[in-house]
Amino acid sequence: MSAIAASHKSARTGVVLGLLATGFAVVVILAVALGSTWMPIADVARTLAGLGERTQTIIVFNLRMPRVALAILAGGSIAVAGFLLQRVTRNELASPSVLGVIDGAALGVVVFLMLFSNESNVLVVPIAYQPAASAIGAVLAIATVFILAGRQAVSAIRLLLFGIAVAAVAKAITTIMMIVGPIYRTSQATRWMAGAVNEASWGEIQITGLALIPLLVLTLIALRHLPPADLDETSSRSVGLNTPVFRVVIFGLAALITAAAVAFVGGVGFVGLMAPHLARLLLGRNVYIVMAGSFLLGAMMLVSADIIVRVLFAPLEVPAGTVTAVIGTPYFLFLLMRRRSSDG
Amino acid sequence: MDETVKARITIEGVTLGYGQAVVLDALSLPVAPGQVTVLAGPNGCGKSTLLRAIRRLHRPSTGRILVEDIDVAKIGHKALARQIGLLAQSPSAPEEMTVEDLVRLGRYPHQTMFQPWNPHDTAAMDKAMEGTGVLHLRDRRIGSLSGGQLQRVWIAMVLAQETDIICLDEPVNHLDMAHQIECLNLVGALKNDHGRTVVLVLHDLNLAARHADVLVFLKDGKVVARGAPEDLMTPDTIEEVFGGKTAIITDPLHGRPLCIPR
Amino acid sequence: MHTIAASTGAMTTRSPRDAMLYGGLAAALAVAMACSMMLGLKIYSPAEVWRAFTAFDGSETSVVIVNLRLPRAIIAPMTGAGLGVSGVIIQTLARNRIASPDTLGLNAGASLAVVVASFWLGVSSLAGLSLAAAVGALLTSLLVFGIAAGAGGLSPLRIVLVGVTMAGLGHALVEIILTSNEAALEQLLFWLSGAIVDRPASLAANGGVMLVAGAMLAWVLAPSLDALQADDATASGLGVPLGLVRGVSFVAIALLTGSAITMAGPVGFVGLVIPHAARALAGLRHRHQIAAAALLGAIYVTVADIAVRYVIYPAEAPVGAVTAAVGGVVLLGLLKRRAA
Repeated sequence: MSAIAASHKSARTGVVLGLLATGFAVVVILAVALGSTWMPIADVARTLAGLGERTQTIIVFNLRMPRVALAILAGGSIAVAGFLLQRVTRNELASPSVLGVIDGAALGVVVFLMLFSNESNVLVVPIAYQPAASAIGAVLAIATVFILAGRQAVSAIRLLLFGIAVAAVAKAITTIMMIVGPIYRTSQATRWMAGAVNEASWGEIQITGLALIPLLVLTLIALRHLPPADLDETSSRSVGLNTPVFRVVIFGLAALITAAAVAFVGGVGFVGLMAPHLARLLLGRNVYIVMAGSFLLGAMMLVSADIIVRVLFAPLEVPAGTVTAVIGTPYFLFLLMRRRSSDG
Repeated sequence: MDETVKARITIEGVTLGYGQAVVLDALSLPVAPGQVTVLAGPNGCGKSTLLRAIRRLHRPSTGRILVEDIDVAKIGHKALARQIGLLAQSPSAPEEMTVEDLVRLGRYPHQTMFQPWNPHDTAAMDKAMEGTGVLHLRDRRIGSLSGGQLQRVWIAMVLAQETDIICLDEPVNHLDMAHQIECLNLVGALKNDHGRTVVLVLHDLNLAARHADVLVFLKDGKVVARGAPEDLMTPDTIEEVFGGKTAIITDPLHGRPLCIPR
Repeated sequence: MHTIAASTGAMTTRSPRDAMLYGGLAAALAVAMACSMMLGLKIYSPAEVWRAFTAFDGSETSVVIVNLRLPRAIIAPMTGAGLGVSGVIIQTLARNRIASPDTLGLNAGASLAVVVASFWLGVSSLAGLSLAAAVGALLTSLLVFGIAAGAGGLSPLRIVLVGVTMAGLGHALVEIILTSNEAALEQLLFWLSGAIVDRPASLAANGGVMLVAGAMLAWVLAPSLDALQADDATASGLGVPLGLVRGVSFVAIALLTGSAITMAGPVGFVGLVIPHAARALAGLRHRHQIAAAALLGAIYVTVADIAVRYVIYPAEAPVGAVTAAVGGVVLLGLLKRRAA
């Protein structure tokens, strides 16, 4: 590519990234402004800057911001996980939901709800421990998939198939346990599995952030070693960049990020499919830029879905994850039908 | 070149392309019946495409292909499969399939709803396996066969179709030397004991010269030469079609031209 | 069975072996169905079962046997047969041993269609819901194959990914609809995992029609499916009208899967695992695969339906959960042995 064309391209990428960041900010402000009462944008801006009046500050920072912050963290991280998976499998259809991670997390949640309720169906431990259960379930699921796959883990499709099998078993056990349990827990578990951004507390956000930030840093480090997207399998291996161990590490990283992200919000895996897609389309090839773009897009998607849920479907609490899936479907199909992909 | 012989296959002005790329360019070619015709040429000259077009795997945008004066485009699926058999370039089938199951597929064009399997089908199948020397392997899984054996099984499948015309697309590419010769001898024998018309695409010029009754050179989607191997295999013709300088000697064992790149 | 013998009669010495195989399977099915009538919350003896049919006397025993157990004993094998044969066709069409009504999202699509039809379109007749299930399965299969083929080829990885995503989407959509109607959630939750309990016998009639139609199509398609196991060029060269065969196959798949969904909801992993067993027992010829898959599927689901009565005794587990658990484990085994 000529120098002029190259600089045009990076200029364009910069503009797009800037637009994305702006869009992100807009969506966040909207999310904060919307709620049981509409807060004027000017007030929102002022409050976020720390200059708002007392009641508004409380509303924004104690009630609304946490929820938005959680959506940002979860949505963005899942998008990054999806980005990793799509790069390492060289297939744009890979997403966190196919690794069985989310089903393992669901099982963890259901087991937690079953184990720690007494006869009158009241939880004997704080509900705050639920995310821990989800994370444990997710990690166990990942571990099971990798242990079972053994040496076959180096093949993308074999790993995905192991993921499907483990997911099926996890889902089956989950279903049976939910049948046995009373409906209160059933509907709560179902909501979680569909992906719901609930009212969150800063404590939860801290925990999630604590888990995610090191993982994201690790991701940045790992990205340095990713071979260029256009090099095929054999070439990149001969350049020494694509050892099987490295691929397994990337898979593991993606799985752990997903586990942390869904601990609080449940099954929003679809964001992990679409956001990296879009990011790559809009932002080109540089892995760092595409990763940043994926994060922004994923965060925007989940926050927007949550807005839609709160505004359009109130007082029904339709899970946000479901909304992303529904909106994403036509786009996803359209995208797939258009592209002639060269990989398998 | 004896042009007064009425050709079994006639290719008339066929143009075929994908999008902007033209692969066959108003190509015309008579194919003599009862002979082994080999299509050869540099990469991308269209030889495989032509073979597949004969078998109607592609539809020409202009021109037509006739078999015994009937346009192949007008013949039904199974009827055409009873007339022309094709061994595709890299055929595949599940590894657990038995030899017999695979050869059996060759009888597909002869079966209809109201004519399920009958003794003639069995006979044709057995004869095909015997003719290719794989009868004793009939219950073996094709995944357990050697390259040479597997290729003979594929040929048996095409033979079981009992067609008058057989097309083979690069049938020996992945075989080792001994098996290449064995396979091509087998193919050559087809015309002898049944008077079949055989059309072959071969990559290797020397193999082509050794086994062809009629050799056809294609380049850029057109026929540039057609005739007996001795007539076509001259340094000038070869340079014109393939590029590169060569020397031609006569193979002392088989009396056919042998091409040696300089 | 007659036709199998006739078509292979002139062939090889396989016929006596085939007769033993299919005879054995049929016998096993009969035993399974009988057990299905006898076992459960209360165990009834064969004599009591016999009496319930021949001398129905309105007692609890006869009511349970005739009204509750009999429908299950009929629906379970039919569901298994439908899914098994559907799986055989799908795996051949996709040239992929992992493809199945589940992994291609057909179950999810059919469930979605049923849920949409009953909640939004107010369809309540059995015939209507059966049709909805078949249409859902058909549309999903067209979508999945269309997307997978259009975006670069029917590679195994692509088709599985598209299918799994489709399944996820289907479930998400079903959940949106369900969340608006929590009362129905518990009831539908059970059904959505595949359940044969509490099914009226009329379901069997509806499902039976679609099942038979689909099976007949499959039988007719069998020789073409044999040829489709080879690559496209070879199959075309043999005279297989690819487009037509694939189209009719989709219809057969839709009918078979749709019938199973209507009768029992989405029972998972039957269509994935049964074709493997059928191939192992009966070989690759489709007439045999289909017959074996139908019998094996029937036996499998019937036995599973018996197992669910005891897994969380005295409550009943949904059949789909049991088949998914077992199927998942079997899939893991197949993967480890690289048989899939």
